[in-house]
Amino acid sequence: MTPRLYNYDLDAECYRVRLVASVVGIPLDIVGLDVFPGHDHLTDAMLALNPAGRLPVLVDGPLVLTQVPAILWHLASRADATPGLIPAAPAITLEWLGFAMGDLASATTARNAAMLGQGDPVAPRRAARAALRRLDDHMIRAGIAGHGFVAGDRLSLADLALFPAFALSRDFGVDHDEFAALRLWARRVRAVPGFITMPGIPDYH
Amino acid sequence: MTQDLWLPLALTAAIEPGTSAGSVIDGVEIAVWRDTAGRIHTWEDRCPHRGMKLSFGFVRGDHIACLYHGWQYDAAGQCRYIPAHPDVEVPKSICVKTWPVAEAGGMVWVWLAAGAAPQAPDLPQTTALRSLYLDCPLSRVVTLLQAATPLGGPARLAGPIAYLPSDAGALVVGLQSIGPDRCALHITVTGSPTSAQLTSLTHKAEALRRFAEAMEAAA
Repeated sequence: MTPRLYNYDLDAECYRVRLVASVVGIPLDIVGLDVFPGHDHLTDAMLALNPAGRLPVLVDGPLVLTQVPAILWHLASRADATPGLIPAAPAITLEWLGFAMGDLASATTARNAAMLGQGDPVAPRRAARAALRRLDDHMIRAGIAGHGFVAGDRLSLADLALFPAFALSRDFGVDHDEFAALRLWARRVRAVPGFITMPGIPDYH
Repeated sequence: MTQDLWLPLALTAAIEPGTSAGSVIDGVEIAVWRDTAGRIHTWEDRCPHRGMKLSFGFVRGDHIACLYHGWQYDAAGQCRYIPAHPDVEVPKSICVKTWPVAEAGGMVWVWLAAGAAPQAPDLPQTTALRSLYLDCPLSRVVTLLQAATPLGGPARLAGPIAYLPSDAGALVVGLQSIGPDRCALHITVTGSPTSAQLTSLTHKAEALRRFAEAMEAAA
């Protein structure tokens, strides 16, 4: 059965799901919603699926998933997924998935503030820049260890979950100049078979 | 910092063939890009068409194309192709300012001053550690380096280069002033450091950044 994704094209969280699905080769039944300015995600039907009033929502048979790590994990572990995004020892991948959803949540907040006028962008921008710095520091050490990806020498779910916050950082006023290790890493992520972009991420490679 | 010198603006390894990045020296915005043949270029970071940063653009062979409308420039900065007007012979007046560039000691150097550039800095073979960006004036970091820092020291200064003793070997550090409250250190190591030593140095570099930025915040 094809999983159904309730999706908003301009949302970075929804992009994470489309990106992972594309890389593991799982087609999605995408239901496009007009979140801004339409508020389609706040209808009674959508709130019945996710009372938090938030996208993405993935429905796969009886399963209704609203937390991004659960959605990504589910897609990558489906029997028909191209294997490899969840390593045999997944703790480090989970560690960086946690970083993507926790430390880098500020990137989503900052971008929504900058682009949709939702709140003050200054504090989340500062927090997002600090988190990207920590990720850059990590990738410098990964490079010394001979690893090209965040959780080791191979692409994992964590890289795809982390990629949007960096790739879209110019949307909230954080340039790529000072993140040399992240520029090199992002280039490797872009080269992965099945990689797709979203509005705001140029498609030129 | 005087601009009558070769100035470092990136580590060589950070600019892979076929890529571009932005860098700023005392407010001057510079696109640094490497063509697919491996030649490095330092240009004014501004497309003559609509002012878009060329560092956001994409490299095709020995041309760089602007992200906005795809105007393509050759290695001399001359516009060669305008996608919206494919049959137009592009006027010679459409060109980007370029600066002399050199690579030495694992760093990219630019010559922003007027007149012919002298020979590039003569530096030893090094291993790149990292570029470290700090939210403080370069003068603050230089003062710290001249005493002693978590990274090593005290430093001997020669223009925009600091030489520091460290327990992993002598460090050669390129000093970049970005603006009144931002700077970058391009840190390289001489000799044959082990990966454990390099990893240890990355932690010390972060400690230096924390220390310098905390001083700046308290000032």
